[in-house]
Amino acid sequence: MYVGQKVLVVEASAVREILETLLLEWEFDFLVDLTAVDYPARPARFELIYILYSFARNERLRVKCSIALGDRPCTATGIFPTANWLEREVFDMFGIEFSGHPDLRRLLLPEDWEGFPLRRDGSILAMDNRWVRENLGIESGQ
Amino acid sequence: MIRLLKKILLLDLLQGLWVTFRNQHPKHIYTEQYPIERPKVAERFRGAPRLNINPDNGETLCISCDLCAIACPENLIVVTSVRNPVTKRKDLTTFVYDTSRCMFCGLCEDACPVDALELTQDFELASYTREGLIWDRQTLEEGPKPTRYTS
Amino acid sequence: MAQTFLDSNELVLNMGPQHPSTHGVLRVILKLDGEKVTGTECVIGYLHRGVEKIAENRTYQMFAPYVDRMDYIAAVSNGLGYVLAVERLIGVEAPPRAQAARVILTELNRIASHLFWLGTHALDIGAITPLFYTLREREEVLKIFENYCGARLTTHAFRIGGLQYELYEGFEAEVTSFCDWFIPKIDEYEELLTNNRIWKERLVGVGILNATDCRRYGVTGPVLRAAGVKWDLRKAQPYSGYDQYDFEIPVGTNADTYDRYLVRMEEMRQSLRIIRQAVAAIPAGPIMAKVPKVLKPPVGEVYVSIEAPKGELGYFIVSDGTLNPYRVRVRPPSLINLQALDQMVKGALVADVVAIIGTLDIVLGEIDR
Repeated sequence: MYVGQKVLVVEASAVREILETLLLEWEFDFLVDLTAVDYPARPARFELIYILYSFARNERLRVKCSIALGDRPCTATGIFPTANWLEREVFDMFGIEFSGHPDLRRLLLPEDWEGFPLRRDGSILAMDNRWVRENLGIESGQ
Repeated sequence: MIRLLKKILLLDLLQGLWVTFRNQHPKHIYTEQYPIERPKVAERFRGAPRLNINPDNGETLCISCDLCAIACPENLIVVTSVRNPVTKRKDLTTFVYDTSRCMFCGLCEDACPVDALELTQDFELASYTREGLIWDRQTLEEGPKPTRYTS
Repeated sequence: MAQTFLDSNELVLNMGPQHPSTHGVLRVILKLDGEKVTGTECVIGYLHRGVEKIAENRTYQMFAPYVDRMDYIAAVSNGLGYVLAVERLIGVEAPPRAQAARVILTELNRIASHLFWLGTHALDIGAITPLFYTLREREEVLKIFENYCGARLTTHAFRIGGLQYELYEGFEAEVTSFCDWFIPKIDEYEELLTNNRIWKERLVGVGILNATDCRRYGVTGPVLRAAGVKWDLRKAQPYSGYDQYDFEIPVGTNADTYDRYLVRMEEMRQSLRIIRQAVAAIPAGPIMAKVPKVLKPPVGEVYVSIEAPKGELGYFIVSDGTLNPYRVRVRPPSLINLQALDQMVKGALVADVVAIIGTLDIVLGEIDR
């Protein structure tokens, strides 16, 4: 149920052409957001979501595509320069690498952090337990 | 010509300076002399928690329903109780509230059905140790006692 | 020989995380050629608290206080966006009285945020006086918030489905007296700053970001409006009853820092206009719609965005039918506005970098979440 908002579901390999067509022909010239969701139960585990907006038509559109672990989707930086930091953040939180990105590094977490926090691999306590034990000497969650 | 004159005579800067001079003797001084006079906070201010006592018979109003513990985003309330065989209700034994992690959001106060847990206007909750901020039932009922600096 | 002797190397200067002018913990690495800036790089993440991960472990009502702490200067707007998104997901609309109260509180919040922006921005440029005056006015707004919901900064003012607290007695009187008292203050700030030649020389022509660049970089808010694009989410896609009120959208002509200052001052005046119209016509009625205590929204996802004082603040919530949201994504306006910093400082001097960071109106709590 999508509560009256328009969604377009595409194949992962066709995303680049679709974004370009949307920009040139349909006047969706504003990338509002670029994010990902992790569904570990599905085979194509991540779902990459682009939210676009058109000034001329006053309309918002969501473009979704599914990616498996290890896939490297095409970067959208050539089409929308906004995607630069947004893709860096998706890489930081989920580990999805974008091919063709000019500068793919961690954005919010320190450079030597291991692991990708927003993935739903284990429970949240298990994830940071290792770091907490090394640096603070106690068990996580106290 | 007029613009050149304005520029030389610094009229725009003098206009700003006039605003500052006007404020040299303010009608209302906003500085609060803190430890000597305490500020008046609003009635709905979310400050220190307090367990209310029934004024008639001196017993606590809490019915140990545990709704506040369920509502807390940080899980910092722990309520234990024993079942009273006489009145067939639960009696409160201990009530632990950890103010060191509390964000004073008010969800526990909203959840309480009998208005036993209330966030008061007390905002002076400092303590010298971390454990001192974990309040048990006694402190909760009396309220924190901050040092008074009034003369 | 003389060429290599006079050839200046590129100097890399670190405007570190602890800096009075960077509005939080923002680290900017500047590459300088003498005094001119040739490139910048922003390092962020010093305030990352993992709010999106926390959301996966809390219920919908429990997550509302966390949302206020992201953009801590304008906390009421954050709450409004989140509550509107969840209400859209469960298909509930708040009653008209709650909507009117929400509009009043959000516009007061916009005034408070712009006042704080003005004070700190002027302080960065060097004008120390406006800071005291703006913070003094902001105290009055925060007193109204405290009287209403109990906290000044992290308000947690709205609940899913409406309001928790009824408007207190004297709310209308206090808000109207604040509006009347505040208008000469805006004129006072304008008297101090707008025609001041030092202010103009520091701000005119600095940090130009024209309309095409704004759209390419995804910049929204007063920065976009100063570039000449007349676009405001309150008019384009109205929410919470904004289409009942009559107000204008201030637009600038050359997209420089001075225009952004004028746009924000005018926005404060338009906010006062909206508040007056709303206070004059608060409808009577219930303040909370029928929302179950144990909230399990249907499976789906929704994206709702509002016009926060800093830009377009959006919430993308994915629900899988259980008590906790599956994913909450916050679209932070300050992060996306900060990306345009590199474009705006090309060729500017070091002192202009401070002015440009100030005019973008960033809050690190929102950038790092």
